[in-house]
Amino acid sequence: MSKLNQNQAGASANVDTDFYHGTYMSQMNRIGKITGYGGAALSFMPLIYLWISQGLSPDWPAFATAMLTCVSTFLVVQIVEPISYFPVLGPVGTYIAFLSGNISNMRVPCATVAQKAAGVEAGTPQGSLIATLGMAVSVIFNVTVLTIGAILGVGILSALPPEVRVSLNYLLPALFGALLVQSSMKDPKQGLVMTGFALAFYSVLKLGWLDFIPGARNWMGILLTVFISIMLGIKRHKQTA
Amino acid sequence: MDVMKLANSIPMWIACAIPVAVVVFQSVFFGLKAHRAKDKLGISDQQEKAAIKSAAITAIGPSIVILASMLSLLVTVGGPIGWMRLSLIGAVMYESTAAGIGTSSVGVTLGVDPMTAQAFTQGVWTMVVGSLVWVLFGTFSADKMAKVQDKVTKGNRNLMITIAGAAVIGVFAAMTANNFIQLAKTAEGANLTLNKYSLSAVLGGVLMWASTLLGRKFNWDWMKDWSLTISILGAVVLCALV
Repeated sequence: MSKLNQNQAGASANVDTDFYHGTYMSQMNRIGKITGYGGAALSFMPLIYLWISQGLSPDWPAFATAMLTCVSTFLVVQIVEPISYFPVLGPVGTYIAFLSGNISNMRVPCATVAQKAAGVEAGTPQGSLIATLGMAVSVIFNVTVLTIGAILGVGILSALPPEVRVSLNYLLPALFGALLVQSSMKDPKQGLVMTGFALAFYSVLKLGWLDFIPGARNWMGILLTVFISIMLGIKRHKQTA
Repeated sequence: MDVMKLANSIPMWIACAIPVAVVVFQSVFFGLKAHRAKDKLGISDQQEKAAIKSAAITAIGPSIVILASMLSLLVTVGGPIGWMRLSLIGAVMYESTAAGIGTSSVGVTLGVDPMTAQAFTQGVWTMVVGSLVWVLFGTFSADKMAKVQDKVTKGNRNLMITIAGAAVIGVFAAMTANNFIQLAKTAEGANLTLNKYSLSAVLGGVLMWASTLLGRKFNWDWMKDWSLTISILGAVVLCALV
């Protein structure tokens, strides 16, 4: 605790918070909005190309049913995620993460590891700035790897033996298991309690006991687990403070 | 015209490269601005260097995961769309589901039936439009949530740190539980079960714990950066051997 207080004193001594909250944030907000909305609009480019030059437009009634399925599966999660990840990513990180995607499996890990390496805390201006750097690096890295992969194309896939191709499915569970332990090592009690809660709650969800709530399986797990974790964190914070 | 030829044509690559360029531009711009602002926040060159190096090494493991799911999209919706969708908005868990929802709306099961021009169009439209709320709501709310957070925490630095740390643990607990608990379809319905996906989640966690402790014990500083990649690849190799 005393170490933390020293950091706090040291940090506030040479920090220009007026600059951060003023010039820096207003410029970042402006560019964040332009690139976010602009990127969303430009993601229609291939659709426009297909329509104008190839005459391929959606079958609208069928597209409406597809959108209905998509909305009931993904809409709530798309609103819940920006709120849930905000404390970790900070405002600038939120612009980067939601334009580039792959948030839980790529942006959040890179942001938290960068903060740890620099010795800054998430939730502070310093943490927010380091998260921005870490995520920017991860975006450039990711696009580079994908571009090389896309150019080499399916050749890579067919070069892999079938056993290896099957094993690729196990990458994602391993990634999340590792990240859960990594983030819990700082606070094992919180990690254990939340892992227990999440396992119980996902069992209930997957058994379909909450299916009377539309799309519950897709959005309720993350929303409730993050919310309870924050509440538990605040409660324990008040007890120690 | 063969639809996969169209899906992999040069104009499609160009149409997909434009939004990807915006993503890259945004990151480069924000990265440079953060770099220039760091002195004013009391962040040293060494701190910045350590953060960049750790982020780059940590990105290796997740990039392999994303690459693997792009390769399966290359087969079903072609190179340009697979490449664009995993560089921008969306996520590994979203893209193939959305593409499948789109193609099946005109009766084509993704990866099973041969792709038609109409099914391809449906699939791509569904992927693009179905993911818009992520970027629109995220972009809209970023600065507003900063104000809400300031109000809730009243500038209490330790409380903000607590909330951020708890949120991270919550996110990963949820994601791990979702991968750990699997469903087995039976005649009467579905039962909970454990399989190799569950095993992989556990192994990833155990390897992270072991590698972190080893790194601490022997003072291997490099382990902090490499532990994630080691854990992911180690778990997958072990799963393949079992």
